[in-house]
Amino acid sequence: MSEDFKDSKAIQAQSSETISSGAGSSSPDLDYVRPAEVGDQDLYHGHSFITKWVFCQDAKVIGVQYFCLATFTGIIGLILSWLMRLQLGYPEAAGFMTAEHYYQFVTMHGMIMVVYFLTALFLGGFGNYLIPLMVGARDMVFPYLNMVSFWMFFVAVGVLLASFFVPGGPTGSGWTLYPPQAILEGTPGSGMGIILMCVSLILFVAGFTMGGLNYLITVLQARTRGMTLMRMPLTVWGIFTATVLAMLAFPALLVGSLMMMLDKLLGTSFFMPTILKAGEVLEYGGGSPILFQHLFWFFGHPEVYIVALPAFGIISDLISVHSRKNIFGYRMMVWAIVIIGALSFFVWAHHMYVSGMNPWFGFFFATTTLIIAVPTAMKVYNWILTLWRGNIRMNTVMLWCLGFIVTFVNGGITGIFLGNVSVDVPLSDTYFVIAHFHMVMGIAPLMVIMGAVYHWFPLVTGKFLSEKLGKWHFWLTFLGAYSIYFPMHYLGFIGVPRRYFEMYDSPYMTSAVGMNEFISTAAFIVGAAQFILIYNIIKSLKIGKAAGKNPWQANSLEWLTPTVPPEHGNWGDRLPVVHRWAYDYSVPGAKEDFITQTTPPSEVTDSKVEKT
Amino acid sequence: MSDPKIEGYEFKPGFSGMAADTASDQTMFKGVHWGKAMMWIFLLSDTFIFSCFLISYMKGRGSTPVEWPNPSEVFGLHVFGVDVPLLLIAIMTFVLITSSGTMALAVKYGYEKNRKMCGWLILATAIGGLTFVGMQAFEWSKLIHEGVRPWENPFGAPQFGSFFFMITGFHGTHVSIGVIFLFIYAYKTFAGHYDEQKRGWFTSIRGDYVEIEILGLYWHFVDLVWVFIFAFFYLW
Amino acid sequence: MHAGIIFFLVILGSVLFHIFTPWYWTDIASNWGSMDDTITLTFWIGGGVFVAVCLFMVYCVFKFSYKEGRKAEYKPEDKKLERILTWATTLGVAALLAPGLIVWNQYVNVPKNALEIDVMAWQWGWQYRLPGEDGKLGTTKIVNINDNNPFGINLEDSNGKDDVMIQSDVINLKNNRPVKILLRSVDVLHNWYVPQFRAKMDAVPGVVTYYWFEPNKVGKYEVLCAEYCGVGHYAMRGGVIVQSEQDYENWLQGQQTFSELIVKQKKIELNETKLVKK
Repeated sequence: MSEDFKDSKAIQAQSSETISSGAGSSSPDLDYVRPAEVGDQDLYHGHSFITKWVFCQDAKVIGVQYFCLATFTGIIGLILSWLMRLQLGYPEAAGFMTAEHYYQFVTMHGMIMVVYFLTALFLGGFGNYLIPLMVGARDMVFPYLNMVSFWMFFVAVGVLLASFFVPGGPTGSGWTLYPPQAILEGTPGSGMGIILMCVSLILFVAGFTMGGLNYLITVLQARTRGMTLMRMPLTVWGIFTATVLAMLAFPALLVGSLMMMLDKLLGTSFFMPTILKAGEVLEYGGGSPILFQHLFWFFGHPEVYIVALPAFGIISDLISVHSRKNIFGYRMMVWAIVIIGALSFFVWAHHMYVSGMNPWFGFFFATTTLIIAVPTAMKVYNWILTLWRGNIRMNTVMLWCLGFIVTFVNGGITGIFLGNVSVDVPLSDTYFVIAHFHMVMGIAPLMVIMGAVYHWFPLVTGKFLSEKLGKWHFWLTFLGAYSIYFPMHYLGFIGVPRRYFEMYDSPYMTSAVGMNEFISTAAFIVGAAQFILIYNIIKSLKIGKAAGKNPWQANSLEWLTPTVPPEHGNWGDRLPVVHRWAYDYSVPGAKEDFITQTTPPSEVTDSKVEKT
Repeated sequence: MSDPKIEGYEFKPGFSGMAADTASDQTMFKGVHWGKAMMWIFLLSDTFIFSCFLISYMKGRGSTPVEWPNPSEVFGLHVFGVDVPLLLIAIMTFVLITSSGTMALAVKYGYEKNRKMCGWLILATAIGGLTFVGMQAFEWSKLIHEGVRPWENPFGAPQFGSFFFMITGFHGTHVSIGVIFLFIYAYKTFAGHYDEQKRGWFTSIRGDYVEIEILGLYWHFVDLVWVFIFAFFYLW
Repeated sequence: MHAGIIFFLVILGSVLFHIFTPWYWTDIASNWGSMDDTITLTFWIGGGVFVAVCLFMVYCVFKFSYKEGRKAEYKPEDKKLERILTWATTLGVAALLAPGLIVWNQYVNVPKNALEIDVMAWQWGWQYRLPGEDGKLGTTKIVNINDNNPFGINLEDSNGKDDVMIQSDVINLKNNRPVKILLRSVDVLHNWYVPQFRAKMDAVPGVVTYYWFEPNKVGKYEVLCAEYCGVGHYAMRGGVIVQSEQDYENWLQGQQTFSELIVKQKKIELNETKLVKK
């Protein structure tokens, strides 16, 4: 196997030995950066199709693999949402759909979108691709583990999709999987469906842990010379903090899934109290259904931020690059990410205000929840203050950013409704909740993903995506999605409960029939509009405009690789040396409106750059 | 432990040193091997898993309407005509903690590149772990023989059986995985893979004695968790 | 430019939609007007922030769109501005939180004169139990439930003997009398929710949960299950009829108590044995 390594010379253990590399390591001049602490990483270079593209150990390939598989499951989730909307808007056209089907689609749509699409895409996709490049590493620190992580995810998706084909179908217990109903007759897929769901989640957690360890150690221990934590792009900060949350929150999901599986398979009663069903008392007793809710939401709330924090980070970078202006209040942005992440572990029970838990918890969790609004609001202010007095390129990437700000602020503010305990009482379990979380953790992160795709596509492929198609894609998605979810809040005010297969003819619900038809129509259009992106990608890969090096004139390291797209090992012979933060745009006195992170101070002595 | 020497970097003591390390470039934990840092973070994550288990156990024990069985009776052992409470569990705990000691020695000899001593001590640790798992299997079969099942329990609350089998089973899996790795590492040590920096079978990372310390961290963690399980299940 | 105009129209459209929407709260029929008030307050503060932030964004789009050769401002931080914004936000959030907590305090503290009602849920239906003359509900157990004892009342509990049993999914309530809803479920999670009363709470098997409200408008209302409970969730409806005191008493007279039910059942059993003997 050793012939797979370019340099077969022994590399010193990276423990305590120091290796100095690069010129100028001893000169006391302006551009001095400490020598490298650890030796260069030795990488396994695949040379067959299998080792290069399938079981590949290159984080960039793994990132693209994650991206593609997550997108694939996301499209399944999208199709499920179409079917749901068909039933809600035009039930007469959805005659083939029974209530069982409907609830199965709701459940699988929710679980796929939250866990297998958004989490995998942000952390597995963008995390793998961007972290090593942005911190100046050759690869993730444990490439083999990283590869296993992806294939675990692959198996998890396989198990999840397999549940569509087992007797009884996939679980239809809602994405929250609340027991007792998740494992009792009366809920679709209460047999094999729920078991496969639990197995799939456990596999996902195991796989994610492997990837997560990689992201964390790469950020903590494998940054390049000069790259301090406070010089990292906010994208890395967002993904890093989200990974920390995931490492601490997923255990609760793992434990909850395992216990529920035992309840189903072995007849234990962790979550099962005495239950009377069809006139017979079941052989369960003494368990607590609310315990599962605590475990689930101890995972579930950080999960929201696992999706949101990478989105925060990426959007900060996109806005900064395309406004040609530094991100306003970088340090506050970093601290806000960290504080939001820490607080997210103390707010989980705001999902349970009316769950029957001790109502006195409501005071505590309402307070912590509203405290989290402060750092979040600060981030919003800093985004719009970055636009202020910038030089804003109104391209597709910026449009997605602006769309993100509108939808995120909208969804964030409805979050204040739901977090404030007594306001939540009339609104919880209604369509208001659906509108809120789709706006804030569905559409807003989607805007970021799309912006990021248009932004980094030239890096990954060397070609630009078509701007014209991109603008069509954006406006259809943004206007369509906004007109789905903004009116949907008002269904919640009327009092329409969630997860209703049919509305029947309650007076306040009949008034909403027209709105449901409108929302469904918009949903079909928005869903279809996403295929513009796929067409755009295929077309641009073939005949797209060549991008060349650093097409956006950005500062951060991922654009500064010797080859575009970057090769395995990223940096050619020598690792980059970092002299500044990633946001020196439009510095007074500088020749150009950007100063890359690798530009040494001696080259920009005339400019009034602030020390970072 | 003294700080490693790093060219161009000055270590400071105490909190300001921690702040300086955090604010510096390249690494946050100076001189710490990647694998070691990874193991620490993995163990932090694993701590959350066991915490979730134990908190669920406390909640389950608190909310079940049937009375909880008395652990010193359930776990008692009848030897030489005398009922000795917690005898087996005391031996198990002793064995496991002793194996932690041999593991620590193995790490020490590993860094001294004393291949033989290191290998034998890893083997001793593995055998200690195996003994522990064996005694746990004995205890399980004893309880099963007495009628305790995950779904029922002749001594009282059925949740006792559920939580006992689940948590000790989960911990036992940890020990078993550790034992498998200990045997592999013992083989690798004796075969000299660490001395000649042979590449790993799967990971193709060069062998280094630091791997023994990493496995040691895992092993000590498994012991520590056992102490908590012991306290919560057998003494409460 | 066009983008700025469209974003502006989106904001304007949102505000206009909110003002002219035909879809809004049902007329409130309980004492929880304070919940509506906190929502309105949140709308004013939150909506104000939303409009302000978005309009500022639109302004930036108009004012600072790309011009060749123009340089953006270089100002990494503005401590003073950031501090002002932090405190202003904190103040706004506190202004939202305080009334919310006050209302929640009322929600969890049930008035002493509240009438206790046992609401029993199953897949997929409701039934109700009122305390008898003694004003106390008898204790229950799920395992006691059978055809002769539909609520699972403990037979040795004398409080249960005079309990009024309403084996229907419609319950009548007295106008202007606070009620404490005691929720229990025999199988999975449910939630007894009347949109006009605003209040709701899950029914959890194994425990009894509660909440209270005071109906203050005579009329008929629909009960919805608001916690997903399986395939029949959407069809799990019930009803509430809020009546004046006189009508309510008349209705109550017609309901049967637990001891009446036992007597009736005993008579039937006796008749059956007689029939067999004959």
